[in-house]
Amino acid sequence: MSQLPTYGEVPGRPIGEMSRRGFMRRMLGVGVAILSVEFLAGTVNFLWPNVRSGLGGRLTIGTPAEIIANDPAWATGTPFAFNRARLFFLNVPAAKGLVDGSGASVTDPGEEVLALYRKCPHLGCQIPPLCDQSKWFECLCHGSKYTILGEKRAGPAPRGMDSFAVEVVEGAYVVDTSRIVGGPPEGTVTFDPRDTAAIPHCAG
Amino acid sequence: MTFPGPGDLVRVVKESALWRSLFRQPYPTTSRTRALAVMNNVFLHLHPVRVKKHAVRYTYTFCLGGLSFFLFLVLTVTGVYLMFFYVPSVTRAYQDILSIENSVAFGSFVRNMHRWGAHLMVLTVFLHMIRVFYHGAYKPPREFNWVIGVVLLFSTLWLSFTGYLLPWDQIAFWAITVGSQMATYAPLLSDESSFLLLGGVLVDQGTLIRFYVMHVIAFPLIAAILMVVHFWRIRKDGGISGPV
Amino acid sequence: MTIEKRRNATADKNAPTQAPNVPAVERGAGPKLPGPPGVPGTERFRLLAYVKQESLVRVDKRPDETLLTWPHLLRAEFLAALLMGVVLVVASVTIRAPLEEMANAGVTPHVAKAPWYFLGLQELISYFNATVAGAFLPIIYLVGLALVPYIDRSPYKAARDRKTMWVFFMCLMVGGLLITIIGSFFRGPGWNWVWPWDGIFFTL
Ligand code: HEM
Ligand code: FES
Repeated sequence: MSQLPTYGEVPGRPIGEMSRRGFMRRMLGVGVAILSVEFLAGTVNFLWPNVRSGLGGRLTIGTPAEIIANDPAWATGTPFAFNRARLFFLNVPAAKGLVDGSGASVTDPGEEVLALYRKCPHLGCQIPPLCDQSKWFECLCHGSKYTILGEKRAGPAPRGMDSFAVEVVEGAYVVDTSRIVGGPPEGTVTFDPRDTAAIPHCAG
Repeated sequence: MTFPGPGDLVRVVKESALWRSLFRQPYPTTSRTRALAVMNNVFLHLHPVRVKKHAVRYTYTFCLGGLSFFLFLVLTVTGVYLMFFYVPSVTRAYQDILSIENSVAFGSFVRNMHRWGAHLMVLTVFLHMIRVFYHGAYKPPREFNWVIGVVLLFSTLWLSFTGYLLPWDQIAFWAITVGSQMATYAPLLSDESSFLLLGGVLVDQGTLIRFYVMHVIAFPLIAAILMVVHFWRIRKDGGISGPV
Repeated sequence: MTIEKRRNATADKNAPTQAPNVPAVERGAGPKLPGPPGVPGTERFRLLAYVKQESLVRVDKRPDETLLTWPHLLRAEFLAALLMGVVLVVASVTIRAPLEEMANAGVTPHVAKAPWYFLGLQELISYFNATVAGAFLPIIYLVGLALVPYIDRSPYKAARDRKTMWVFFMCLMVGGLLITIIGSFFRGPGWNWVWPWDGIFFTL
């Protein structure tokens, strides 16, 4: 058993008193501190990724007609995989029809579209195309499951699928991939309230 | 007539000006020369001249700190070897690893050594921490050396994590995707921090070059400096702590 | 070994000023009694530095409490390094480092695991709210570790004298080990429970 060592008295004047020299020294210290903070901020700024193209910028998906020419199933609700921005582009009214079985065909959904980011909000795996059995998005990595509109139904993810802001510019859809909209919180049910246990799945 | 034998050669070499300027004393055999050997050599001077008896016992330290340092050295050497053949580009990195594996002489041996050494080092650092804790060796005056140790632990993990991406294969890509996504759960600045870390929104070329720089220069340097301070403080705190 | 010392250089009045096994006649005779040169344990040294009593190189210590670094410590270190070197070489010759196909963001693997030292964390994220498990816990873990010396202020060093701290620390370590093992060997596709004998989903 040993004793705690004493560190001895703190040298210098009592706290509260300050000499001219002490003041200068402290100001010098403050100056150096400010410089260091500036240096740090400058470093972060320097290291900030310099993204000009690809994900992070504004990307044009195309007009509804162009999308359908590319993938005719889009009109009947199948999500269109726009790989340049890693998103599923949804024709919302048709997608709803695909799930509830009405099979509606919509060739121009107007503003009723959704650009769901394929990066799983759980740990970032790429979400595979819609699962045929369940008509849900099912992440293979850890089994998070989302409805066709990206609402979370099962698995470890903290929220629904994230999406990007979409604008219509001269009839064409443009996504701003620098603006990610966080997915709907857990427990949001606006559509497709089917129970997880009641339907077959692709992911375990 | 006698012919000069190997002994004479040894004598000539040992009496030469070059040899004697290199080693300022004969091979240490007495307490005095042994003490001088440690004192006069910059590398051995990491140690004091004398150490407490228990410090030499394997069952006290299990040499875990020393082994962590040894592994760090091995990783530095093998890492430099690998750097001669590796280009951190998403189109080349994987091919370079393949050629290290398949066509560079001893390439796969060096790569294996670097990889297994890295895993082992994470392990020995953890075990070292547990042994230091067991002996209460973080008690005054060694408190701050423990703090330095924690930063070293973090640096070791970070070195290992950044290196994990470099082969640019499926294991690497998805492990880093999943691992760095955990950082984005930070309550503030979550997207910004992962953007800065990955050098973009996703694991891509920006990430590879960032991880490469951190792995081959930034963090080895930081870790080495911290180790210097760590070892220095051990000496200044009177060698490793006493047996309990 | 005796070390010559100046009379007023004694810092610790309580320390024995005389090694017990030195005959009384030698007391104070210091410099006049040179030992035979080159016989370990009998030489004399001049005082080169003033050394505090708590330090390693103690002034008035019986000679059997320390060993010379050369050869004793260096030999121990050399052997440890040699053994580790042999282990490494054997491992590197016999076990191949894993390498799979080239990275492809479009092909999500069925099991996506972080490196092993983060698998405990990944396992935790599958239990708790992700912000808590993913961000707060690691920060608390590291900061808490760094603060250990400032939390445990008791002067005792032996594990039996600081049971609370010891039990707490070991719970953390063993707990960490357990969840790491679970995350490593008991989790398979979809982060579902898989017994190791049904398949191991783990790469180093
Ligand atoms: C890169 C990682 C590290 C290296 C190379 C390293 C190296 C060493 C060495 C060579 C020693 C001498 C005694 C021994 O071998 O056990 C030592 C002691 C010590 N280490 Fe580390 N260490 C590392 C990480 C850590 C960590 C993670 C901690 C704690 C959080 C730590 C805390 C300490 C303390 C407090 C001592 C003094 C122990 C005593 O006096 O008994 N070190 N370290
Ligand atoms: S990354 Fe999708 S469920 Fe974990």
